[in-house]
Amino acid sequence: MNEPKFQCIGRPLPRVDALDKVLGRAVYAGDISFPHMLYGKILRAGVPHAVIEEIDISAAEAMEGVACVLTARDIPGINRYGIAFPDQKVLAEDKVISIADPVAAVAAESPELARDAVKAIRVKYRALPVVTNPHEALAEGAPALHPEGNLFQYVKIRKGDVAEGFQQADIILEDTFQTQVQDHTYLETESGIARMDKQGNLILQTVSQGPFRDRAQVAAVCGLPQNRVRVIRATVGGAFGGKDDVSVQVHVALLAQATGRPVRLVFTREESLTTQTKRHAIEIWSRWGVTKDGKLCAMEGKVYGDTGAYAGLGPFVVKKCGIYLCGPYYIPAVKVDIYTTYTNNIIKSAYRGFGVLQASVVHEAMMDELALKCGIHPLKFRIMNALDVGLDTGTGQVMKEDCGIKATLKKMREVVMNDPTLKTHCEGLR
Amino acid sequence: MAKDQDKTILKMTVNGEPVEVAVNPAWTLLRVIREELGLTGTKEGCGIGDCGACTVLLEGKTVNSCLVLALQAEGKEVRTVEGLGTEENLDPLQESFIEYGAVQCGFCTPGMLISARALLDKNPHPTTEEIKVAISGNLCRCTGYVKIIQAIEIVAQEG
Ligand code: FES
Ligand code: FES
Repeated sequence: MNEPKFQCIGRPLPRVDALDKVLGRAVYAGDISFPHMLYGKILRAGVPHAVIEEIDISAAEAMEGVACVLTARDIPGINRYGIAFPDQKVLAEDKVISIADPVAAVAAESPELARDAVKAIRVKYRALPVVTNPHEALAEGAPALHPEGNLFQYVKIRKGDVAEGFQQADIILEDTFQTQVQDHTYLETESGIARMDKQGNLILQTVSQGPFRDRAQVAAVCGLPQNRVRVIRATVGGAFGGKDDVSVQVHVALLAQATGRPVRLVFTREESLTTQTKRHAIEIWSRWGVTKDGKLCAMEGKVYGDTGAYAGLGPFVVKKCGIYLCGPYYIPAVKVDIYTTYTNNIIKSAYRGFGVLQASVVHEAMMDELALKCGIHPLKFRIMNALDVGLDTGTGQVMKEDCGIKATLKKMREVVMNDPTLKTHCEGLR
Repeated sequence: MAKDQDKTILKMTVNGEPVEVAVNPAWTLLRVIREELGLTGTKEGCGIGDCGACTVLLEGKTVNSCLVLALQAEGKEVRTVEGLGTEENLDPLQESFIEYGAVQCGFCTPGMLISARALLDKNPHPTTEEIKVAISGNLCRCTGYVKIIQAIEIVAQEG
């Protein structure tokens, strides 16, 4: 065997943190504690869309062992945050627009007390009509969930002449696809611990996929300059995009700032499932045209992404879904309209694949159906239409380098044809 | 709030050491291990018996420590991931988990190792199927299980 040329590449190396992890001594945010530490808990709206008529925290505040109960008026900085667009309220003011909206935050001497204190807070809501999907969001007379309206972003993709493309088509197929919401379900729920040091700096140890973005959001909410906030990323127990957005960070920081004591905030699994970012449910209508000898000639699509009550990274995710709707195939004429809408559902944001998965549901189903209609083997049909050097993508990007899809598909063909157990799949593949 | 006078003294053995700790009768074994004894290697992934991140050995048998009341461990022997091996003297499973890439985020790892250890203690040469059954109560979101099963198989073959 040849000696590998590099120090790392080509050599099996143990993970740098594996030893600590098998010994149980890797430190995750929820493992950290400090003397005189308090436990945080957030009261969530629990109703999807409502006016807040009254918040009564007196019973919670009066409980022995409760150090503080914060509502919107206690925020020293701005009552806004968000990973890319600051459209999330740290604590609700006059209105809630999702069941996950934080209404109050409590710090207490024990986790049980914090939980009981949250239960003792009384909030009077007046229910408002609920927007549950993008079509309702865009309908005439729909309640506006944000001042700018419910359409967060509209993007057009236009390439070539779609009408002419469909005229060349011998077979045209169209369908509507609906993907579902998914939770990342990292084994470690969102956690963090915040404290003030002797110089009045705020130190936050937390789950994070971007400590500097967290710091910017925390500093603005706490009314501190960024150089007074230090975010230290603890060992993270899985994220998959779900720890990109702020989860515990702003609230645990506020509680530590308000009490001057270390505060730990760990979400329960239920809280993680019902309040934290998810994968976008996207509705995609699409029409594909192909000549009878199997050449794709036009594609049209409408993408409706539900980003929930807040943008998160939704506009990027949903846009990407539309951008990738052609899949790794060459289509000369493309027309896609992409809508990212607010609804009263839970916030959606980054999740492995970032919108591309939702698109692949559509283009792969369509490729199978079109191949069937043309009477061409589906793998062969894909090879015939695969992107290649000199061809352009749905957004007009000319491939200067090989993106590898054709080689991959051809390799698959070779594997299938050389495997006697797959014989029945080979008919028409050559 | 639980007052100190509501607490009961719990005596048990943890990783070979006798311990005495004042506990509230409502506390779980998981809470006592993590918060009172500071053994944070044992994790909480769900708190309701679904994920296995909190798995420890109680009298040599695996339990979800989030579902066991601390006082149920009275007079008994508890073993956590911290009692499996040391840096100088790793349990063969710990070595194998590192070597075969069975550790990613690591949050399931302590519970996974404990379940695997319990299996090998009573059945040193399990089949792949028996390994799968033994870790069926431990969820892992990162690895897809293949490398975990492989890491256990290697130890079972050598052991
Ligand atoms: S924390 Fe005990 S099973 Fe999940
Ligand atoms: S390694 Fe992350 S859950 Fe198993």
